[in-house]
Amino acid sequence: MNDNVIIKTEDLCKHYRGGVIRALDGVSAEIKKGEVVVVIGPSGSGKSTFLRSLNLLEIPTSGKILFEDVDITNPKLDVNVYRRKMGMVFQHFNLFPHMTILRNMTIAPMKLLKKTKEEAEAKALELLKLVGLEDRAESYPSQLSGGQKQRVAIVRALCMEPEVMLFDEPTSALDPEMVGEVLDVMKNLAESGMTMLVVTHEMGFAREVASRVIFMDEGQIIEEGTPADIFENPQNSRTQSFLSKVL
Amino acid sequence: MEWFNKWLDTLYNTFMVDQRYMTIVSGFEKTIVITFGALLIGVIIGTIVAIIKVFADGNKKLKILDVICNIYLTVIRGTPVVVQLLIAFFIIFVSAKDGTMVAIITFGVNSGAYVAETIRSGIMAVDSGQNEAGRALGFSKLRTMQYIILPQAFKNILPAIGNEMIALLKETSVAGYVAVVDITKAANQIKNTTYDQINPIMLVALIYLILVIGLTKLLNVFERRLRKSER
Repeated sequence: MNDNVIIKTEDLCKHYRGGVIRALDGVSAEIKKGEVVVVIGPSGSGKSTFLRSLNLLEIPTSGKILFEDVDITNPKLDVNVYRRKMGMVFQHFNLFPHMTILRNMTIAPMKLLKKTKEEAEAKALELLKLVGLEDRAESYPSQLSGGQKQRVAIVRALCMEPEVMLFDEPTSALDPEMVGEVLDVMKNLAESGMTMLVVTHEMGFAREVASRVIFMDEGQIIEEGTPADIFENPQNSRTQSFLSKVL
Repeated sequence: MEWFNKWLDTLYNTFMVDQRYMTIVSGFEKTIVITFGALLIGVIIGTIVAIIKVFADGNKKLKILDVICNIYLTVIRGTPVVVQLLIAFFIIFVSAKDGTMVAIITFGVNSGAYVAETIRSGIMAVDSGQNEAGRALGFSKLRTMQYIILPQAFKNILPAIGNEMIALLKETSVAGYVAVVDITKAANQIKNTTYDQINPIMLVALIYLILVIGLTKLLNVFERRLRKSER
């Protein structure tokens, strides 16, 4: 198999109520190293479910998820080991409110990667500097704006040195004036070569940063291609109608 | 003024003669020791039971543990604490000479059942995104609980734990049933030796009241401080 592929799903399904509701209905996709894949689609199309099933926050009903050729849906595997290699950023940030920003960023590397406090903090501060928040290390999440929280959430995930970053609508809960600062961080991350899978409604970001765009609807991948393919020349009528509404 | 002097005389006879006030002092110590010992046991048992019940929700492997927890909760909450105390002292720990340890354990096990439900509600009140964030970083279920969920849950339920402590303090007044000379029993003993039917009992009531008011004040201070750190 192509060793550039980091994540590959085969016929991934997530059914509720014995198949009456099909959040995911046979999704097969590949994410290669260094790619920035943006998933778009109407709400309820299954794009978030797809993203969340990749690190098994949603347990798929059937199908395979191959992470570097290992099927992580195998219940005998310790999924925690694989989750450490996949950073995740949530719509609602999910910073830990009872810890300082620095502690938010160092607890996982210290407890899970057995880094020393000094190592973990040095790395955290370096990353905070990168997103312009080094002076907030000792603050608590409640003292930060939404955009700042999301930037912290991104670098918290980066502290684990993941091989791929998953973004679940990272700007959807932000005030409009804060969307830009988060997208900038993501853009820089993409340029640094990070493999990213992004579920978003930010079509501008998709067009500019994505190496590939996937359009999903009703739990299926309807169409995928380069941003130019999808945005300028969509083939499927559902893609066309969706884009005509959002662009 | 005469009745007042008479009252002072009675007080002197009741409490000072033969240093009888010392019974009250040592009874006070017993009451405090039993209350805090039981609270500690209660919080430990309550935390364990709450975690089991939360984890057992949707996990068939923990079914047996869940059933055991439910039996524990039902039995403890379905019988009076005095009866539990009698069972503990006369049936389970038959060889115990001192009732204090038995009382601590019994009140602890009893309190655990109530604390468990409180802690469980505290855990449920923590946003599910917190659990997801912990799991996504690679923490196991148990570690996520330990580092991320429980600290937030305890913060939420601190007032309820405080109330439990106050309830426990008053409940321990039945410890006299198993030969523990707590503060209530001490008053009763003084009453029986001195035939003073009023003052020992009123004194003990006053002590309980002052303790509860003090604890309530302390809790309020605590709560205010916690709320401040959230801003």
